[in-house]
Amino acid sequence: MKIVAVTACPTGIAHTYMAAARLEKTAKELGHEIKVETQGSLGTENALTESDISQASVAIFAVDIHVEGRERFKGVKIIEVPLQEAIKNAKGIFEKIQG
Amino acid sequence: MTQNACTAAEFTFLCPLPNGFHARPASHLATLAGKFTSNCILSNLRTGRTADMKSVLSLIAADINFKDQCRVRVNGADEQAATKAIQQFIDNDLSACDLPLPKLMPDGQSGILPRALRSIGLAAYSGFPVSRGTGYGKVVIVSDVALPPELSTESASDPEHELQRAQRGMERVRARVCENLSGQISAAEAGILQAHLAILGDVALAGHIQEKISQGRSAGQAVLEATEFFSSLLRKSESHYIRERAVDLREICHEVLKEIYGLELQPIAELTEPSVVAAENLAPRQLLHLARKEIRALVLESAGTTSHAVILARSLAIPTLIGVKNLRQLLSPGQEVVVDANRGLLIPEWTSPVCRYYERELSTQQSRQAALVRNAMAPAITADGRRIEVAANVSSAEELAPAFANGADGIGLFRTEMLFAGRDHPPSEDEQFEVYVQAARAARGQPVILRTFDIGGDKPVPYLRLPAEANPFLGYRGVRIYGEHRELVCAQMRAILRASAFGSVQMMVPMVASREEVLWVKAQLAQVQNDLRNRQIAFDPAMPVGIMIEIPSVAFVLDQLCEEVDFFSIGTNDLVQYFLAADRGNAKVRGLSNVKHPAFLRLLKQIVDEVHKSGKYIGMCGEMAGDLAHLPLLLALGLDEISVASFEIPILKERISRLTISASQSLLSKALACKGIAEVESLLANVSLSAPHAPLLDRDLIILDSKSENKEEAIREIINALYIKARTNDPDRLEEAVWSREDVYSTGLGYGFAVPHCKTDAVIAGSIGILKLSQPVEWGALDGLPVHTVILLAAPESEANAKHLRIFSQLARKLMNDDFRSQLVEAKDANAMLYIFNGRTCHREQVTLSIQNKRSRGSKTFLATNLRE
Repeated sequence: MKIVAVTACPTGIAHTYMAAARLEKTAKELGHEIKVETQGSLGTENALTESDISQASVAIFAVDIHVEGRERFKGVKIIEVPLQEAIKNAKGIFEKIQG
Repeated sequence: MTQNACTAAEFTFLCPLPNGFHARPASHLATLAGKFTSNCILSNLRTGRTADMKSVLSLIAADINFKDQCRVRVNGADEQAATKAIQQFIDNDLSACDLPLPKLMPDGQSGILPRALRSIGLAAYSGFPVSRGTGYGKVVIVSDVALPPELSTESASDPEHELQRAQRGMERVRARVCENLSGQISAAEAGILQAHLAILGDVALAGHIQEKISQGRSAGQAVLEATEFFSSLLRKSESHYIRERAVDLREICHEVLKEIYGLELQPIAELTEPSVVAAENLAPRQLLHLARKEIRALVLESAGTTSHAVILARSLAIPTLIGVKNLRQLLSPGQEVVVDANRGLLIPEWTSPVCRYYERELSTQQSRQAALVRNAMAPAITADGRRIEVAANVSSAEELAPAFANGADGIGLFRTEMLFAGRDHPPSEDEQFEVYVQAARAARGQPVILRTFDIGGDKPVPYLRLPAEANPFLGYRGVRIYGEHRELVCAQMRAILRASAFGSVQMMVPMVASREEVLWVKAQLAQVQNDLRNRQIAFDPAMPVGIMIEIPSVAFVLDQLCEEVDFFSIGTNDLVQYFLAADRGNAKVRGLSNVKHPAFLRLLKQIVDEVHKSGKYIGMCGEMAGDLAHLPLLLALGLDEISVASFEIPILKERISRLTISASQSLLSKALACKGIAEVESLLANVSLSAPHAPLLDRDLIILDSKSENKEEAIREIINALYIKARTNDPDRLEEAVWSREDVYSTGLGYGFAVPHCKTDAVIAGSIGILKLSQPVEWGALDGLPVHTVILLAAPESEANAKHLRIFSQLARKLMNDDFRSQLVEAKDANAMLYIFNGRTCHREQVTLSIQNKRSRGSKTFLATNLRE
């Protein structure tokens, strides 16, 4: 499955990136293809392109704050979870997608 | 303004003194009244109290406040002349006497408990901190000076004899105070002793004692009753300052009684172990008698900021709180307590978390101070390589050693007038020579600038018989009195020249307004040199001679003065008040007398540029130089030297190393163009400091085997490490920032790891701190497991360095990597930790550090190089 994700937290120093790393790692283990955009203290990195989004079956927002550019995801199925969920139980998020 | 309703020997006026009739104006008036034989009585028509105008004590006891209506009645042979003189003084001069009271603002608000102590539900009492620091020890409760009650039964048969006993007692105490005054004491102590001398010499006090004796009292009873009489008057005053003087009076009485009866009336507690002294109020000599080294802190219930004990405690650096209510109910003798005079707290217990917290805080402060002082031994050099000398201002020989121990690059101002004050004859040439040689030797070749005495005006010295003046600051002082006291000046010059043979001594002249004054001083100096040559006494013929720049006129003839002198030092305190015509002591205009006035900054710029045009040396020794906020301006002006109180040197030198000349110069040019003081202040409030040349992580930020027992302690422990390394100047604020993030949800990410973090301007240099706990602690982690490894990420608010943030983000990602975490767990020492963070491994198995995100590829070397930068 092709998945896109956005991570963002208030300080944007640590958890944004931890969540991204965890999502990437778990997706790989489960055989998914994922691209994670981080919106942190360094600004937006690894930005999702229009085609990234249009090809994705689902978008995961692991965020504690407002997502920049939310309108880009019109027409895509969005799963929104608190950021800590992605660190604590990334597997659970993917199971929810499939189930 | 006075309103004079005149008869020849009587008039009324309104008190023009915003601070009321405190000791200083009272002593001027008493001196004047004392010159006449007539009785001079002043009545405060508001309170109905009357005062003998020849008595300072009596005048201040009349409790005269601002705008109180008062009546003066003069009665006697010279009443016409006396009335005229007193009325003239009150009309013209009285308001000029209103120098600011020695009021110390509390150092801070009474504060809140640190997080680590709040979390355990600790109670604390609050007070106002007036002398910073923390101290812990056992409570010793000291009572007010107790005067013996049993004297009431003493009988006195011979009034003549009793009077002699009383007078002899007073005289002995007086002699002892004088002796103490001429010894090696701090300026704070000298001020207090002088106040005591004034009490001992007070005519009304003496008169009252005499009256009581003539009524049949014994010497002791009379002293006691006179004391009670005046101290009850003083205590009724509405002014805190005047109420405080009752403590001094009782202490004097106590001393006199001791002399009369030849025994210790009230043994003062001996401190045999670390102690926190608690008292309602404390007399200054009581404080001095308590063994200094065992006093760890002072808690005073009713002392005010003008109390002599507080002033003294501050000069002795004893952590002190005032205004803690009901001390006797709160504390019992022997109880172990902590006084946190940084935060304004009295913590009435000594349990292990409190003990651990404050022992850590103390050792943190000591390490930080030691680090600052260590760095201060090196020259002060800006971040872009410009050197500036940081010298010390001193007033006595005892201040020399501490000055050099704090890293002074020399003595920028030795106020020699302190050698002349508080005695009844001037110091001899030899006496001065001893002191100046001591200074020259202590400096070990570094410059010592001895300022010839600046006496007059507000610094009266009785034996010079200087006239009372309408406006002492614009009057007869400094170099202006040298002509009349030529012998004294020449003796001082001889002493200075003789000392110049022993080190790098320089001579500086105060209050110069014109070239003629400089020429006169140089002519005298030449004569003294000749004289020394003839007597074959060694001196440095090339001893540099400089002048103070305090009077604005000097700024406009610097080209001429540069031909005559070798160096200059700007005395900002006087220069600013003369330049802006605003008395710093006058509350109504104090706001005007501000060194941040753009006109004053332009004046400074002109002065420094003009002096440098002639290739001469220029420093600054006023209060402006001691304020960290002004540093960028001083650096940009190009001053060769700043001279400050010695305790300020370490932090000033540290701050200089964080500033650049280039940024400071652009700041100065903006400040010169500012349209007001407020604009300059807001410019200065936003100076950014360059981070110390330090990598994000270094060995000192790695703590292994931490004994912290909970999350709060662990976080504070890492923050303390940052504070010691000057990566933050405000650990409390940094802690709050970390906790405001922590309170959103726990940064315990699971697997025993926590990553507390913050972005705040309390951080100067981006830092990673690592703490490994001996015993894992509860962190509220995502997986519920206790935490054994804490990694603090601290970023400055204005993090221009995106590289640091990138490293933080890469580190965060790596912490999701099982291998990386297990390496950190296995690392046994700081070196191993550094290896891991630097992207290497000292372990057998190679660990993949590559990061899965494609955009971050190549980060291995990136991380490695940047952590070491």
